[in-house]
Amino acid sequence: MKFNDLVDLSIGSLWRIKLRAALTITGVVIAIATFVAMLSFAAGNQRWVENAYTELGLLTRINVTPKEKTPADSVEAAILDRRALRTLSTLPGVRMAYPYVEFEVTASAADTQVTTEVRAISLEVMRIKPFSTMVGGVVFSSEDAREAVVTGEFLKKIGVKDGERLVGEKIVISTRVSSIDSALAGVVGDPEAEMADIFGRVAFDSLANPGYRGRVLRRELGDRMSRFVDGLLNHQVTVADTLTVIAVGNKIDQYQVPVSPVIVPEGIARRFSSSGVGVTNDPANLLTALESGTIFSPGGADDSRGFPRVTLETEPQASHAAIIDSVEALGFKAFSFAEEFKQVQRFFIYYYFGLGVIGLIALATASLGIANTMIMSITERRREIGILKSLGADEKEIQLAFLVESGTIGAVGAAVGILFGWVGTRIVAAVLKIIMQRQEMPVFDPFTLPVWLVFLALAFGIAVSMAAGLYPASRAARVDPVEALRGD
Amino acid sequence: MTAWMTTADLCRYYKRARHEVRAVDRVSLGIERGEFVAVVGASGSGKSTLLNLLAGLDRPTGGHIEVGGERLDRLSRRELSRYRARKVGMVFQSFNLLPHHTALKNVETALFFDGTPRGERRGRAHEMLVRLGLGDRLGHRPGDLSGGEQQRVAMARALVKRPEVLFADEPTGNLDEENARAIIDLLIELNGEGLTVIMVTHDVDMAARVAKRTLRMHYGQVVGDSPSPAATPGPPDLPPAAPEPGPTAPDIGRGP
Repeated sequence: MKFNDLVDLSIGSLWRIKLRAALTITGVVIAIATFVAMLSFAAGNQRWVENAYTELGLLTRINVTPKEKTPADSVEAAILDRRALRTLSTLPGVRMAYPYVEFEVTASAADTQVTTEVRAISLEVMRIKPFSTMVGGVVFSSEDAREAVVTGEFLKKIGVKDGERLVGEKIVISTRVSSIDSALAGVVGDPEAEMADIFGRVAFDSLANPGYRGRVLRRELGDRMSRFVDGLLNHQVTVADTLTVIAVGNKIDQYQVPVSPVIVPEGIARRFSSSGVGVTNDPANLLTALESGTIFSPGGADDSRGFPRVTLETEPQASHAAIIDSVEALGFKAFSFAEEFKQVQRFFIYYYFGLGVIGLIALATASLGIANTMIMSITERRREIGILKSLGADEKEIQLAFLVESGTIGAVGAAVGILFGWVGTRIVAAVLKIIMQRQEMPVFDPFTLPVWLVFLALAFGIAVSMAAGLYPASRAARVDPVEALRGD
Repeated sequence: MTAWMTTADLCRYYKRARHEVRAVDRVSLGIERGEFVAVVGASGSGKSTLLNLLAGLDRPTGGHIEVGGERLDRLSRRELSRYRARKVGMVFQSFNLLPHHTALKNVETALFFDGTPRGERRGRAHEMLVRLGLGDRLGHRPGDLSGGEQQRVAMARALVKRPEVLFADEPTGNLDEENARAIIDLLIELNGEGLTVIMVTHDVDMAARVAKRTLRMHYGQVVGDSPSPAATPGPPDLPPAAPEPGPTAPDIGRGP
């Protein structure tokens, strides 16, 4: 018996029990639709995460941060300064290393004044992800151009909805920076006499030596220390600049990653920092600067104050594990997003499995319906089976005919179920979109129906249905033709 | 010389409510090609069981059956199916047609299992139905046909695969006199063309009239085996069963 004959025979048999077959198929449709919707949700989320990693350029990125000092550590903690930055940028597999430079300013735009963080980046960094994605390829005209990019975060702060109208507008940023003059003014009572006295006792050239510096600070400054810090923090000078907004970078807002509200060229930040002792008045940085002695070195391009973070842009094929080892050997902590991504992918396997199981439970329930239909069918078709056997059908052919029948139920149910599942997810996605828009949340589609899922659902539908038909089919094959054909 | 179909001590026993039923009990016989054998006996004498054993539809519990040098009792279930598919045609009292299929499809179904190419089946089924006078009933379902017509469709189904032997189990049992006569005529005609026919009937007179040989069964045993005195060697002077035999009627019943 040819396969085509089996299909003919099976479809003919199903057609005769249309209503029952339709109800059985409905069970499969619901199960497959659930299966598809569940896995489509998992796939949608995975796509969203993968897109985030790609769009933000995370797979070629390693973040380097200073590590905590622990005596037990075999590698001594190092300071993440300009020198370290240069070393990191020459590591094998590293294409570029750039620091995280952010400082707080008062910004005025659209008749509103707000306090905001400003991120400084170089032109080179602006050409790579996530910045290139964020602003759609717009680049500052030069390293010290008086230009700025504002992000969705900034728009929220100043209460502007249509960010595009800010493009071409002016934004004034200002900050108060500490100066060595104001710091020392707090320490010294009679400037001339005390300064002469201190200058006489302190060897300034040796202040870079930590031991000597500690002794000097303890000996010379004593209670003046607090006045010194007070001077640095509270008696500051104001630095301001007027910048032109060249773009609104809100193209990665959907990924909800923290982005500084304002981005400026590195040159602007350097101008701000060279006016005082630091680009920030963060007391922690101040202490680092004091401890390392760098507080007394000039600011600007070569200032050696520590960065909170340095980002490494790696070659696409570079081994992140090897780079991490090198970074740690230098005395820093390293975090690879690519390594994290592997964990995320592992998580998605469990996620798929968990959601898939829900769909499979539904399918298992539907399979009971198939088994029931098939068993009823055998009872009703005993004579037909007997006739076919008398005509020469062997057990295998009878078994196969019934399996094809249950497989057909599965195939039709799966095909319609996939369609229903897809339509269902589209409806839910549309509703979610409306809700997200109303809540002013970043809009994204949590569902996707990849081709593999279509084939998987079809395969599962057919396989589970055929498995459900196995027992009835073997019962059909065992029907005794003599008994089946015996009179009416 | 060994007959074409032989049985030796053929038994078919089965248990029914703790009792052993000896449906066929130590039957030994030989049947030659081209014979028309009638098996007669009272109800429950084992005629149909013997027929089923010879047709390969049932398996013996003892003894052996040999057909054309092939031991049926030693064949696997699959091989036995092939035997039924290729060498055996069967006709039943209750026709046993597939009720949801047309006459044409019913006949065509017989060719599903003997390896006939798909493209050939419809033509052969069509020809056979035309030969049996059912050319205008091709698209009818069994429910729309008379008893005689249904039995002729069943005959067409049995003959379309060109079997070596035709087993007929009470083929006229559900038919009126006229239709019964037409079917018997057809069997005689086919036998005249060389087809071996083994027919089970409880009608001893009819058996004596049409068969060349009559086997009488009683409680599972063959108690009489005699040539039928009244049997005529060829078709009798009766109107043909098929009103208009097709000019391209296939040569049926000769076997390989």
